[in-house]
Parts: sequence; structure tokens; C-alpha cells
Amino acid sequence: MMERISRNTRIFFEGAFYSYKALFRWLNPATYLASKVLAPLTIMIFFVFIGAYASGSNNASFYVIGNSLIFAASSGIFGVTMSVGGERWTGTLPYLFGCPANRGAMFIGRAFMHILDGMLGVFIGLGWGILLFKLDLSQANPLALLLTILVTTFSTSGLGLLMGCLSLITRNVMLVNNTVYFALLIFSGANIPVEELPAWMQVIANGLPLTRGVACARTIIAGGSLTEIMPLLKEELLIGIILTILGYFLFKVFEIQAKKLGTLDIF
Amino acid sequence: MCGWWEGRNKMNQVQKNLRVMLLAFEVEMRQNLTDGFVIFGILIQPLLVALMALWMLKGKGPDYAIFVVVGSGMTGLWTTLLFNGGNSITGERWTGTLEPLVASPASLRMIIFGKVLANVAQSLGSMIGSYLLISTILGYPLTLARPALFAVSLLVTVFALVCFGLILASFFILIPDFARMVNTLEFPIYILCGFLFPIALLPGWTTPISYLLSPYWAAQALHGAAQGTLTTGQILADWGWMLAFSLSYILISGKLYQVILRKARVDATLDIVGN
Repeated sequence: MMERISRNTRIFFEGAFYSYKALFRWLNPATYLASKVLAPLTIMIFFVFIGAYASGSNNASFYVIGNSLIFAASSGIFGVTMSVGGERWTGTLPYLFGCPANRGAMFIGRAFMHILDGMLGVFIGLGWGILLFKLDLSQANPLALLLTILVTTFSTSGLGLLMGCLSLITRNVMLVNNTVYFALLIFSGANIPVEELPAWMQVIANGLPLTRGVACARTIIAGGSLTEIMPLLKEELLIGIILTILGYFLFKVFEIQAKKLGTLDIF
Repeated sequence: MCGWWEGRNKMNQVQKNLRVMLLAFEVEMRQNLTDGFVIFGILIQPLLVALMALWMLKGKGPDYAIFVVVGSGMTGLWTTLLFNGGNSITGERWTGTLEPLVASPASLRMIIFGKVLANVAQSLGSMIGSYLLISTILGYPLTLARPALFAVSLLVTVFALVCFGLILASFFILIPDFARMVNTLEFPIYILCGFLFPIALLPGWTTPISYLLSPYWAAQALHGAAQGTLTTGQILADWGWMLAFSLSYILISGKLYQVILRKARVDATLDIVGN
């Protein structure tokens, strides 16, 4: 029993590390940093300035917080999807499905580094907000904010795991990923208050990861307490768990199907 | 007699170049129709940006919906130009067709011009899509204040962006990290060219950078003609800037393409991806 736990833990962390490394090792450090630090900044600036044009520069923090949390989704969706789907593109999927390793450790491990990466992205976003848009974090409870960022990054990674499974059966993974990412920009409340959306869109917004995370982060930064945001945070966590389980279930289904039909690496 | 013969040869050359360009245009169009990411760049992303901007900018006066149509359409034009037009040469490298293209007597620049033109022409679908979404589905009243000036502005914009694409495509080859950095170049142009907010909101030091980018003049002419906020003289000046930049891009690209092909032949890296 102990041996199995230790073996699965090793598979989890080794898989997490190597899949992350495989995704970014080909970039030189400057390019990697540009994609991690500069690209998110430009997206944030774009939406903050549209916001400033719409409602004045006093509202900048609304857009800064929303778009900082979006960076969690960026890692969660693109990173995790590419980690899972990349196995198919690089021709390593048959080996992965052929090995006797625990599928849960292998599959969920793919998200681990991207959760850390996504959290780092949110910190970078908030850092840019402080530097460029005078974001005030003095009222924020650091622990509550950290917990919010962790839970939000986890829940968006859950969505990434689900999308990653889809990338095992479709060629147009970038289309699906980008569409989901841009939909989150609209529905999550990062740029438009959820209560201003039409009723049918609010229903969708409430079923998505990130929506509650953005709301929690705004409450915490405005001086709210952990107790105040706890119900929302629990729901965000629950959404993440549901998406991860759903993703794992699909992963298993696709594995069985692909083995049956002999379509493991057919595009 | 000699002059007549030279004139006829030149006409033949022009005809051949046009034929090459049109064939490259057709092939690129056909290939793009099967590419999901192109569909995302042309239709889905601009429509989502339009929806978002529509909500964010509501209350910005009666003309804001047409401002959003033009601005989100411009985001589609730029995204397609950057990701697809920019990859016009590297794409041939990936598919192993760059060597035969270079070996053929046709001008590589004309081939790339045709390919980029196909991308930019297709990405006009962004503006049409945004227009249909906002007017037909969402029911906003949309009127072009100066339709004739808008139509000509659009034509000049297409030409200017295609010329800009010639330079972009060469950067993908000359600067190995350019393709890897491409994600970081999408939004800066949205910002610096005032697609969805005036550049006056940006710090003053960024203004000269905006003036050096032809998409900025394109956005200014299109917004101005659509909303009727610019005089005819101002729009003509915008066209002038776009044409001046286009001319310089054409001249510079001629030299750049010579450098690329010479270097690739000397280093024997014509079909080596990543060099």
C-alpha cells in the first residue's frame, strides 16, 4: 500500500515536472519571460484602458483585479490543455496509455505545475496593477487573497483538464481553447460586472470557474474578510473538483475508445 | 521598335506577376477555410471582443456601436495579419514548399503579397460579422456617417496592411525568436493604434510609436469616416500616411527578401525550420 502511494506520488510529480518542462524548455529565457510577464501585461492594459475610456480612470482597479485573475485561467486553460493534448501531437500518447501507471496521478499531475504557474501569473498581474495603475492592496488580507488565488487557479485548471481531454479527439484545439478563454473574459465578470449581463448570460457565468474567484478577490482587496467570501470560495472549489473529475472520466473514456478503435494518434 | 519590345516585355512581366499573385491568393484562401484557428481569428475572437466592448462602452454616446464594429473588426484584421500573414514564409518552410517556390522564376514577394492579401481580405469578415451581430442580432441601429469615404478607407487599409504583412513575414525568418514572441505582439497594436479607445488616454511618449504604425492611420480613417468625426481633408491625410508607409514597406521588403534568400542559400537553411 505504502509502496503504491509512493510510486503514484512519484508519477504525479515527475509527470508534472517533465510535462511542464516539455512545454517551455524550447523557448529561450527572454521569450519565456516575455510570454509570462509582457503578454499578460498587454492584455491587462488593453482592457483597463477600454474600462477607463468607458467609465473613467477611477475604476481601473476593477479591471486590474479582474484581468489579473484571468492570468490564472490563461495558465489553467492553455498550459494544462497543451500538457495533456501535447502528448498526442508529439506521438507519446500510445506510450502513456500503454504504461501501467496510475491514470489519476498521471492525468491530474499534468495540472500541478500550471496551478503554481497560474498563481505566479496572478501575482505578476497584481504587481503590474500596483506599479502602473496604483492598485491598493493595503486593505487586503494576504492569506485570504492567497487562498482565493489558489482556489481560482485550481478551478480553472480543472477546466483545462477537461479541455485537454477534448484535445485528444479534435484537431482544432487552439480554436476551442481560445474561444473558452475569450468567453471567460466576458462571462467571468473580469471586465463586465456579472449583474449587468442579461439573465441567460448570468446563468452561464455562475456555472463557470473564475466568476466566483474574481468576485472574492475584489471583496478581499476592498477589505472584506475570509468569512465573508468563504461560501463563494467553497463553490469555486467545488466547480474545480467537478471539472477535474469530469476531465478524468473523459480521459478514461477516450483511452478505452482509442484503444478499441485503434485511433490513439490518428488526427 | 526596341522601345515597343521592351514595353511589351514589361506588360508580360506585370501579367505574370499578377497571375502568380492571384494564384497564391486563391491557394491561401482555400487552405485557410480548413484552418480552425483562422476561423477563430476572423470570426470568433472579433465577435467576442465586440460583445465585450459593446457592454463596456455603453453610454459613450449614440455612435459607440459603430465605433465598436470598426474597432473589433480592426482587431480581427490585425490578429489575422499577425498570425497568418506573418507566417506566410515560415508556413511554406513548415510544409516543405519553400524550396520549390524559391527555385521557381516567380517573384517570392508577389507570392507572399498574394497570400497576405488573402488573409487580410478574409479578415474583413471580422468587420462584417461584428456589423451583423450588433445590428441584426442585438438590434443596435448602425449607420455609416460617410459611406463612400469609409469604403475607400477600407480599400486603402487593406493595401496598407498587406504591405505591412510583407515586412512582418520577413521578420519571422530574419528574427528566429519573432515567431515565439508573436503572442506578445497582438494586444500592443490594439492598444497603440486606438482600435477601441483613443490613444490620447495613453502616456504621451507612446504617441510617436502609434504614428509609425499604419494600422493606427487605418483605424483613425475608418473610425472617422464611420462616425463622421473627421473632415474629408483629415481622412485624405490618413490615406496619405498609409500609402506613404506602404510605399516604404514595399521598398524595404524588396531588400529584406533579397537578404533572406541570399542568407538561406549561403547558410543552406532554406528548409530548416527555426533558423
